[in-house]
Amino acid sequence: MIEIRNITKTFGRQEVLKGIDLTVEKGEVVVILGPSGSGKTTLLRCLNFLEKPDDGTVNISGEQVNCKRPTKQEIHSLRKKTAMVFQHYNLFKHKTVLENVMEGLIIVRKLDRVEARVKSIEVLEKVGLGDKLDMYPSQLSGGQQQRVGIARALALEPEVILFDEPTSALDPELVGEVLSVIRKIAAEGITMIVVTHEMGFARDVSNHVVFMDGGVIVEEGKPNEIFRSPKEERTKQFLKRITPELTYDI
Amino acid sequence: MTLLITAVSLIGGFIIAVPAALVRINRVPVLSQIASAYVTVIRGTPMLMHLFLIYYGLPILIDSVSRKLNLGFTSVSIPIVYFVFVAFSLTAGAYMTEVIRAGIQAVDRGQVEAAYSVGMTPVQTFKRIVLPQALAVSLLNLSSEVIGMLHGTTLAFTVSITEINGRANIVASTNWKFFEAYIAAALMFWGLTVLIERVTARIEKKINTFNRGGVA
Ligand SMILES: Nc1ncnc2c1ncn2[C@@H]1O[C@H](COP(=O)(O)OP(=O)(O)OP(=O)(O)O)[C@@H](O)[C@H]1O
Ligand SMILES: [Mg+2]
Repeated sequence: MIEIRNITKTFGRQEVLKGIDLTVEKGEVVVILGPSGSGKTTLLRCLNFLEKPDDGTVNISGEQVNCKRPTKQEIHSLRKKTAMVFQHYNLFKHKTVLENVMEGLIIVRKLDRVEARVKSIEVLEKVGLGDKLDMYPSQLSGGQQQRVGIARALALEPEVILFDEPTSALDPELVGEVLSVIRKIAAEGITMIVVTHEMGFARDVSNHVVFMDGGVIVEEGKPNEIFRSPKEERTKQFLKRITPELTYDI
Repeated sequence: MTLLITAVSLIGGFIIAVPAALVRINRVPVLSQIASAYVTVIRGTPMLMHLFLIYYGLPILIDSVSRKLNLGFTSVSIPIVYFVFVAFSLTAGAYMTEVIRAGIQAVDRGQVEAAYSVGMTPVQTFKRIVLPQALAVSLLNLSSEVIGMLHGTTLAFTVSITEINGRANIVASTNWKFFEAYIAAALMFWGLTVLIERVTARIEKKINTFNRGGVA
């Protein structure tokens, strides 16, 4: 279980997160929605300390970290419990597909090379890249690269996978293959927090939807509640803009 | 001897350059200024001067320290070639600092974050993700560095020859045999240079496979 309490973050004079509370149960798929600049990326990055929150606590499966003064060990242990899929894939360019996935297993999880290889191939087959093991990232399409990114995260068997707009850098015709991989692993009961603008995906796959605006959580609830009968005016406005075809419901 | 001096000063230079580049990139207070001054001064002065400064200056320093601490040790007992190693390592280090710094900065931040997100420590990330790519980016420049050092080693003879001949005038001893030796040496240097360029081209080809279409 993941518990975030009163996370705040300021960049310069701009308060980007103004006290975020969020609880994610094991196996849940949480989708975070919100307009650009609302702090979605920053919130995800605070969970694995790619950004250090100014204040608050993060608790992932019993490990409680006080964000004001985290120790190096606490940060490292949070990072080992989480994995991240990035908007721009961020694959290791000098390593092959297989090596990208094996890297964390060998260096962080301390598996031996043979085990790491077997595990990596298994995960890469799951994301449909069993035939691309020895390619370099630059030889792959965006969709394929993102599936490597997902495999790299999945192989680590983290408590939670954080997705930051995993499909928004992709050509439209490649979005589907990546979403279907995410759907597949969601169905396996992997805990995920997903920032996305794919409303169809949010509605079908998530157990919980969070709407953020201006550094606060404006509204959260079951996907049905949020999409069909949002309570807050700001949520209504946002959904109206982003999914015009749904507006007759509101 | 030439190869040994080249190899040692490149390795020495590398050992100086990586921390110096890191210190400059991370703007570590004080150290960053020192590194920056070191690079500017060395790059702004000729290699021969570094050699003379170390060769004539370092012994004075060593002797005075040794005398103060009563170590009963004088610089005369140190072989000349050691001074050459120190001087050329300093030279190579300064040039390599800049090359490696540019290389490190060419590796995008996203990959570093990805490595952290996987759970790698900053040291593991640097060694396994950043440095290999930084070196790949710097390859061409590093290879011209290697060639430059190789040719620079000829300067080492200015100190050793002065030593052997008891400051005899080098030019005076020039005769036809000497000239032949020079031509032979020149051919050798040329051969080595071609070899280094070939090796570089080979590595470059390999790097191009993973850079195909990429910006790095
Ligand atoms: N490293 C940073 N330094 C300064 N300001 C930042 C930094 N990162 C984010 N910000 C600012 O914080 C605010 C929230 O950014 P964030 O990226 O979290 O928004 P977002 O909800 O993910 O938006 P988008 O949908 O565009 O990705 C923005 O105004 C942004 O300019
Ligand atoms: Mg974002």
